[in-house]
Amino acid sequence: MNNEMKIMQLIAQGGDARSYAMKGIALARKSNITEAKAAIKTGRDAVTKAHHIQTELIQKEASGEKQEITLLMIHAQDHLMNAMTVLDLAEEFIYVYEREEAK
Amino acid sequence: MKKILLVCAAGMSTSLLVNKMKDEASQQGIDVEIKAVAKEKLTENIEGANVVLLGPQIGYLEDDFKEAYKEMQIPIRVINSIDYGMMNGKKILAEAL
Repeated sequence: MNNEMKIMQLIAQGGDARSYAMKGIALARKSNITEAKAAIKTGRDAVTKAHHIQTELIQKEASGEKQEITLLMIHAQDHLMNAMTVLDLAEEFIYVYEREEAK
Repeated sequence: MKKILLVCAAGMSTSLLVNKMKDEASQQGIDVEIKAVAKEKLTENIEGANVVLLGPQIGYLEDDFKEAYKEMQIPIRVINSIDYGMMNGKKILAEAL
């Protein structure tokens, strides 16, 4: 995989993860708590894939192999960070919806 | 001429894909208009599109978009994240046509 491919993988997998997180929240809003949790699980799997690439890139740089910083790379980092934040918050949202359901 | 519209959060990553798809189209001698727009710009660009493809990062908006533009009867689909990540312009173009 060349560098552009790796960056696109970060965007695609990170983006997928964020999308599943958002779907999870929408499902929980409609009281589909089980499906909502499944969406979060799928999102976590996607973000894990992105994170493998991220780790590889970071380790390369740490070992002295300087990485080229392009605007697209920054954009990919943005996607990944956003995905992780939205996933964490989506879990909390689902938890709150679940608690409301139980009342 | 067919018009394919690609939509993502900022229109940045899909712009790269548009270039791959355009290269593929010109290689195959297909006359097609392919354009990438940010999701906020969809309304002003959707007119005349034959298909709308969403980047996986905004896949969660598929149902909302389908509902919002249902009267236009334009197919709206999410690009497979593996094809998207691999920038598989050939496959994505073939599926769009």
